[in-house]
Amino acid sequence: MIETKDKLFGIVDLNARFELTKFKPVRAVLKSRWMPLLPILINLFMFVIILLAAFTGGLSAGNYNFGIMIVWILWWVLLMMMLVPGFSRAWCMVCPFPIFSDWAQRTRLFDVKPGKLGGLGLKWPKKLSNMWVMNIAFLVTTFFSGFMTVLPIATFILLGIIIIGAFVIGLIFEKRTFCLYLCPVSGFQGLYSQFATVEVRRKDWEICKNHNPKTCYVGNEKGYGCPWNRTPFDFQKNTYCGMCLECLKTCPYDNMAINLRPPGVDLLVDTKREPRGLDEAWKAFIMLGIAIVFYLAFQGPWGFFKDMVRGVTLPGYLGYIAFHTVFNLLIIPGVFFVFAYLSKRLSGNTEVPLKSVFTNFAYTLIPMGLGVWMGFSVGILLPNGSYILRVLSDPFAWGWNLFGTAQIPWTPVLTGIMGYIQGAILIVFFAFAVGYGWLLAKQIYADVKQAKRGFIPILTFLTLITLVFLWLFVG
Amino acid sequence: MKIKNEPIAVAMLILGTIVAIIGILGFENYRRSAEYTAELTARATEYGNWYPNTITIPYGKPAKILIRNIDVVSHGFALPDFQIAVMEIKAGESAVIEFTPDKKGVFPFVCTIWCSNRHMEMRGQLVVE
Repeated sequence: MIETKDKLFGIVDLNARFELTKFKPVRAVLKSRWMPLLPILINLFMFVIILLAAFTGGLSAGNYNFGIMIVWILWWVLLMMMLVPGFSRAWCMVCPFPIFSDWAQRTRLFDVKPGKLGGLGLKWPKKLSNMWVMNIAFLVTTFFSGFMTVLPIATFILLGIIIIGAFVIGLIFEKRTFCLYLCPVSGFQGLYSQFATVEVRRKDWEICKNHNPKTCYVGNEKGYGCPWNRTPFDFQKNTYCGMCLECLKTCPYDNMAINLRPPGVDLLVDTKREPRGLDEAWKAFIMLGIAIVFYLAFQGPWGFFKDMVRGVTLPGYLGYIAFHTVFNLLIIPGVFFVFAYLSKRLSGNTEVPLKSVFTNFAYTLIPMGLGVWMGFSVGILLPNGSYILRVLSDPFAWGWNLFGTAQIPWTPVLTGIMGYIQGAILIVFFAFAVGYGWLLAKQIYADVKQAKRGFIPILTFLTLITLVFLWLFVG
Repeated sequence: MKIKNEPIAVAMLILGTIVAIIGILGFENYRRSAEYTAELTARATEYGNWYPNTITIPYGKPAKILIRNIDVVSHGFALPDFQIAVMEIKAGESAVIEFTPDKKGVFPFVCTIWCSNRHMEMRGQLVVE
């Protein structure tokens, strides 16, 4: 953990930690090899039902399909509103998709098999060991959002590609290469997990320093070396920690911990091993841009745009893809670049490279983007949540009524005040963005005066984004 | 005796995947054959019409027909010769009709909700023999 004297909003001690694993039963559960295997197996069963429902649902209406509802209403909302901001990459911990490649590599599901892992075990190219491929993968995935969220078979195809991709990549490349650098869902979780209130970290550096070999990396009879190919003894950020819990098992000194912490402390971390980078900055731009486009397409009143996204006509659909790509990859970063340039000019600092100002301030978009996505998720959940009760009872629309809820009609909840709930969430996360923006400004610029001047354009950008979304949410 | 967890984990994986799929499909197949005399799926004419287009049920025996709307629009169902109708089956929903056919012959059934440009062609026939 990197010690900082800064306090968020001037009051929140960013060094504060509460170790959850200091409780023996908690540590015992997390060190068991059933954890996280058991939740993964339960989750795997859930996804079997999701895939079966999506496949048998075919081209039918998505609102009564278990696959569509659980993936795009329940899972997505849980991910954005609870799992990522609360529990970091807890989804990656229980994600069932890599179980088959893990099994193929290890030839064991439960036990630990010492020695070299199976598969070709190739190393992923160093140049691609970042978020760029995931940035493109996620953006391309959203080209099909107008189909995936309404056509069960489209969701089946997407999930099928991810599952097969995870397996094939696992056979070719080492460990969790797919999760690290290819999974479309992984990138934004990694980015936004920097804001999470939970972290996996070592406790005492002295213990790690003197411990050889580093079993958290190489593994031992208790567990595998970090499947995410990280060095857990040196974690400073959540970005690439998949929370697989292997390092808790392999550390003979119980020197790895899961801590509660103030939200967002990773935003201030910029080390040689875990530096801030343009790949993550672009991820933040893309996520913000997609949120805007999705809002316009799925929650806005503009029918022509909905038709474009749904591919009613080929020219319209191609127009959407072109707009979506340019907007996310060029326009949003371009606008932000202007504000970063103004920041540098206004600060009066001639030494800090513009690229550094641009990249570092882009991290303010992590809380901002998360707030936008949480607001968007509220807009999914409240109007559509009642469908979930229905599909739980009749997951395949075969006329079942497992829990007696199959006849519950579509019942929007609190939609009258939905915009205000979305707005309130947005303002809270705007505050976080501003709070961290100021701390970043102090990191970027040499003195407080420069930081104050340099922060004004970024504050303006954040305020404009907030006002745009307040207008969209509240009207 | 030490419990061997590896086989338990493998068994759970197989149960949760292959066995689950076979079990669900097998159960549904059994349920439908045991519970319903016939099954219809509804889609607008352009996308498949009633399927199957002709269903056959025995004369004089109680019939229970499952109608599943697998379309993205609402459909209705009417079997005028037996004065049976389902006003609306919403997209993704299903309905069940029960009656005892008291006459033999071939009887048309139709969709009663304007579902597409070719709505008037959305019809099929019930054979009672």
